[in-house]
Formats: sequence, structure tokens, C-alpha cells
Amino acid sequence: MKTKINELATLPNRLGILNMTRLRMLVLGLVVLAALAGCARLPTPEVREDVSSATSTEDGAAANVIRIGAAVSETGKYSREGRDTRQGYGTWLEWVNNEYGGIDVAGKRYQVELVMYDDEGDPDTVARLVEHLISEDRVDFLLGPYSSSLTQSASAISEKYDKIMVEGNGASESLFERGFRNLFAVLTPAGNYTQSALKMLAEQGAKSVAIAYEDTAFPTSVAEGAQRWAETYGLEVLGVETYPRDVADVSGIMAKFKEAEPDVFVGGGHFNDAILFIRSAKELDFNPKAMVITVGPSNPKLVQEVGADAEYVIGPTQWEASMGYADEHFGTAAEYAARYEARWGEPPTYQAAESTATALALHLAIEAAGALDTDSVRTALLDMDIVTFYGPINFDDTGKNASKPMGAIQVQDGEILVVAPGHAAVSELRYPAPAWKDR
Amino acid sequence: MDQVLQALVNGLLLGGFYAVMVLGFSIIWGVMGIINLAHGEYLMIGAYLGWGLFRYFGMDPFAALLLILPLMFLFGYVLQYVLINRIVERPHLMSLLITFGISIALANLFKILFTSDPRNVSVAYNGSVELLGITFPIVKSIIFGVALLAMLGLHLFLQRSRMGKSIRAAAQNRTAARIVGVDINRTYAVTAGICIAITAAAGAMLSPTQAIFPFMGPPLTLKAYTITALGGLGRIPGALMGGVVLGVTETMVSRFVPGIGTNLGVAISFVILVLILILRPQGLLGGLRPVDPDAE
Repeated sequence: MKTKINELATLPNRLGILNMTRLRMLVLGLVVLAALAGCARLPTPEVREDVSSATSTEDGAAANVIRIGAAVSETGKYSREGRDTRQGYGTWLEWVNNEYGGIDVAGKRYQVELVMYDDEGDPDTVARLVEHLISEDRVDFLLGPYSSSLTQSASAISEKYDKIMVEGNGASESLFERGFRNLFAVLTPAGNYTQSALKMLAEQGAKSVAIAYEDTAFPTSVAEGAQRWAETYGLEVLGVETYPRDVADVSGIMAKFKEAEPDVFVGGGHFNDAILFIRSAKELDFNPKAMVITVGPSNPKLVQEVGADAEYVIGPTQWEASMGYADEHFGTAAEYAARYEARWGEPPTYQAAESTATALALHLAIEAAGALDTDSVRTALLDMDIVTFYGPINFDDTGKNASKPMGAIQVQDGEILVVAPGHAAVSELRYPAPAWKDR
Repeated sequence: MDQVLQALVNGLLLGGFYAVMVLGFSIIWGVMGIINLAHGEYLMIGAYLGWGLFRYFGMDPFAALLLILPLMFLFGYVLQYVLINRIVERPHLMSLLITFGISIALANLFKILFTSDPRNVSVAYNGSVELLGITFPIVKSIIFGVALLAMLGLHLFLQRSRMGKSIRAAAQNRTAARIVGVDINRTYAVTAGICIAITAAAGAMLSPTQAIFPFMGPPLTLKAYTITALGGLGRIPGALMGGVVLGVTETMVSRFVPGIGTNLGVAISFVILVLILILRPQGLLGGLRPVDPDAE
């Protein structure tokens, strides 16, 4: 009853302000339109079809075409890294078709057709797309998506259909503990991320380490590895702390570590955490002689945002253009970087480089096998032991690249410079870092 | 002893920030009966304003408050007048939906404008001072001071000024307030303006201490919800109390529980929330009665 009376009471009122309401609706509509226009200004995602000029028929092999498929994020949370991955694959594709003259399978040249879809960063979508690539597009081989979680989902499908998937953007070790026979990764697994840095710091006289990491898959892998390597190089582990995703305050951890006084602090997490660690250490006057932090430091954005406080911070890196690796196809790492920049108008990130290396590894395995069937190519991949512009590639029995050392960079005078491993270093490690008060 | 004292200081400083961060949420809830799910996004806007003014105009985030407060007051006033006032007397679900919608729209708008790259304000004085063997982080101490000032100012405004009295009247009994001539629409718009301005100010002060990004809002909204339940709705001392209790608990747990302390500290705020809802639903200090639709 009550509601009815209320409605009646407001009825004339509503009629009275009808014009006003219309005006407001108009304003609202304008706001919505403006928002839509804002969206529309975003570059429309361009699904790149194959760049090759080869005619593609239903049966690829008959027309001397090898079909390779990949689902890589073009939208969603990995859109940025996904673009690097696509451009990395594209760099190889254009080179192999136009310069190299096609993949050489037992003396016969095959053009390559690359079929790519947008997985939207979603594990279910990537699985569906890989299924589509295999059963509808009838691709011969697969390349990986971006990120460990998407690779986890995509590789389950390729394994089911017994197709080879070579990937370069899923570092989590759990990917290779599932007994899969057809998944190969060219990048250094997460457990080895801190190896070069800890080895180098132990050589410089560091004695102890404290580790803090986010309790999700990739950082956990990194931190478990860090504990293992600390032991190997004789560093005493003074404390291990975990923290949840989206943490807003790590002062508890840093206060604890401050008292433990470790020589080295290892932080495993994502970009935001790197900022938190540096801020918190400075605020609490926690002065480790070196800070090793994943993900953040190798990204120039960190220096941009944190400024001078990022000095001396050390970070693992899969690849930098200044590293000394080279192969007969893309030349040195620097030459690869120049080629990439000329094509895409921006310098390659390590995600781009490892994607090119991924495709190159598959290419060389097919040539070594001299055949297109899964078994021969798998054997060739397992036998592979080469050095590329990206670094050495030598898969172990589980499909991980066991031979590639992780690099380490240090922020020095605002620049990101490789300090380890020795043969790739362009600068000397600055150790120990001075106390916050003395900078 | 020093360690306990240091943890206590860290907890208090964190609590002071929590208190000013939660103030707007608590008062909007207490006065209008709206659970503002876009609260974290208002913090995010404030943080981006602080960052933008620092990056492009070299303005110190604390000096920028003088600009951010009036700007966001205007934003809150208009938003309330045009959008929220239309549904404030409808069922609760409406306000939940609309604030949820606002939060999604704002987060994605900022993603389009600024990408999801994390930002941070790097002020020159973000070090620490040592006093009596205890380390005081400079930025967080300033935040604590500003938070206390803001709370005192708001308290006086609500108690002494005519508009403040209208706001309290509207909170206690909307119909009665209307009868005695309070313009409810305007009162609500002013309330929202003040609350959103203070929230954005808290966000701006946050910008030098951690990374800011478009999707930072939801966890902060959740925290605001917990603290409000802890301290009681619409009460300034309640917000301070709830903030400090949570801040000190979190810091103490993460400082003295080895290994998983920080995880546990975050979890504990929700344990407290459940306990409070069972044992003292009116909050530790009691509070304004939430708006009761049956009172009309």
C-alpha cells in the first residue's frame, strides 16, 4: 500500500519535471556518446593474415606450404605483450618467406603461412582457438600464446591432438611437470631467473639473502629457484616472506628484513610490487647491499616512475639487444634489434625476441628432421643444440630450454645495463649499493 | 620493545591513512544509505590527478590538494545531482548497480586515457627521520597529519555549520528533515561533493607511496567496507578508530608472524569483519543509524 501511495504522490511531480528529465537524459546520452567516441578512437585491432604470397589451398602440403597456427592476445590484459609476441613471429615469417626462401624440407622449399587469432587473454578462449586451428585450419605446427597461464591451457589441447607447440612466453616450471611430449620452450624457466644475479653477488662477497614473493604461480617458481640458487652459491637465507596479490603495503615484511640485515634482497612479483619494495625500503631505511627484483627493473617505465631511487636495483632479463649472442640467420642480437625496429618502428622487447627465437627453433627443427610429421620434428627438437641471436637453445627431456642462462641488468645512472652473465655484460656491477642516506 | 614500538608506529600511520581513505565511504553510507562501490575509483581519480599535476606541472602532491579538493567537490556534486539523487530513494539494489556501473566505467575510462601502465609520484623527500630509535617515514607521517586535519575540519563542519546540521538531519530522518525545510537534493549533493573530494585527496596522498593504475580501486573499496563496518557508519571517530585498529593489526601480524604474516594481515581484516557483524553489528563505537526506509 505504502509504495503505491508514494508512487501516486510523485506522479504529478514526474509529469511536471518531464522536460527537465528529458534534458537530463540528453546530457546523459551525450556523455555515453562521448565515451563511445573515446572507445572508437582506439585503434581497431587488425588481424594480420599471412604475409606470404603463396597460394593456400585446402591441403597445405600439396601446394608447398607449411601452415603454422598461434593464438596470441591482441586485446585483453596481455594486449601489450601479445603485440610484441605477434611482431616477433611476424619478423621471422617475413624473413623466412622473403629472404630465406622458405623452409627447406629434404631439399624441397616450403613457404610458410601463419594463422593467428586473438585469444583475448582468456584461458578458455585460447583453448577453443587452438582446437579450431588444429581441426578447422589444419595447421601443421603451433606456436605459443603469451603468458604461462595461457600456455598452460593452449598446450593441453595441442598435446591432446599430438601437435608440436613451441613457445617462448611461458616460463612457469609447472608447464613442464605435466609429462607433455609436444611442448617446447626456448626461454629460461622461472626457477633460474635469479641465478646469474645471485652467482654474481656471491662472487662479490654477499653472504646472506632475504626473499619476499607474491603467492602466485610465477613468483613462487622464481622464489623457490632463488632459495635453491642461494644455497648453491653459499648464501644464507635469512627470511622468506609471501604476500597476497594486490598488496598495498609491504612495510611489515621490510621492517622484519631490516632487522635481519641481509646483504641481498630478492623480490618476486610484478611491476607494482617493484615500486612498493623500493618505496618501502627507502621509507624504513632498509639498506640491503643489493636489491634483485623481477619484472620491474628491465622495464624502462620503472626508472621513469620511481626516478633516482631505482638506481642500483638489479633485475633478471631473458634477453637484451646488447647481449653477445649471434647466429647465421638473424646475425647478432643487435642486428636483430635493428631489423625489428626497421620493420615495426620500435625496439624489440625481450618478449618479441623470444617469439622470433621460438619460430626460428621450430623452423630449424623441421629442417633437421627433413619431414613434417610430429614424431620426426619432436626428435629433432630434442636433439637440438644450437646458439641463436637470442641465446643457446637445447631442450631437456621435459621440453624446457635447460642451457640458456638468464641475464641480469642493473639500473645505472638511469640506464638499464646488462651486468651478467659475463660474456653478455656491457657494464660492471655496482656493489654494494650505498645506504639511502648517502645517495 | 623497540620492534613493538616501531610496528605500532607503522600501524598508526597506516591507520591514519585508512581513516581518511574511508571517511567519504562511511559518511555517504551513513547519510544516504548508499554503499558506494565506486569508492576505490574516486581514490584512483585522486591518485591520477596527483600524479598528473606532479608530472606535467611539477606540483607537489600535498600542494595539489588545494586544487584537487574543489575540483572533485564539483565532480561529486554534479554526479550526485545528475545521477545518484535519482535513485537514492529507490531500493538498495539500484544504488549498488549504479555505483558498480560507475566504477567499471571510470576504471576503463582511465585505462583508455592513461593505459594500464603503473604510475608513481617520486617526491624528493620520501625518506625517513629517526626519532628516539624509531624510524618515521616522512611521506606517511605527513599523510597522517593531513588526515587528522581533514577529520577535525569535517567534524567541526558537521557539528557547527548550518549545512552540516542539515546533513546530520537528513541522515537521521529524511522525511522529518524535508518537513522542516531541508532541501534534500542539495544536501545530498553537498555531502557527496565533500565525501568524494576527501576521498580523492586521500588518493592523491597515496600516489607517492605506491603504484597507481586504473584497476587499483576494488581492493580499496573492500577495505573501506571493512573499516566502516568496524568503526560504525557515518562517524568520524569511528572511521579513525576502525582505520587504526585495522592498520595496527595488519602491521603487527605481518611483523611478528614469520613467512605468511602479510597474507594473514590481509585475511585478518575479514575475520574481524565477520566477528564484528556477529557480535557488534552497530560497529565498535556505534554510529548513525543507517537510513531506514520504514521510518517514512
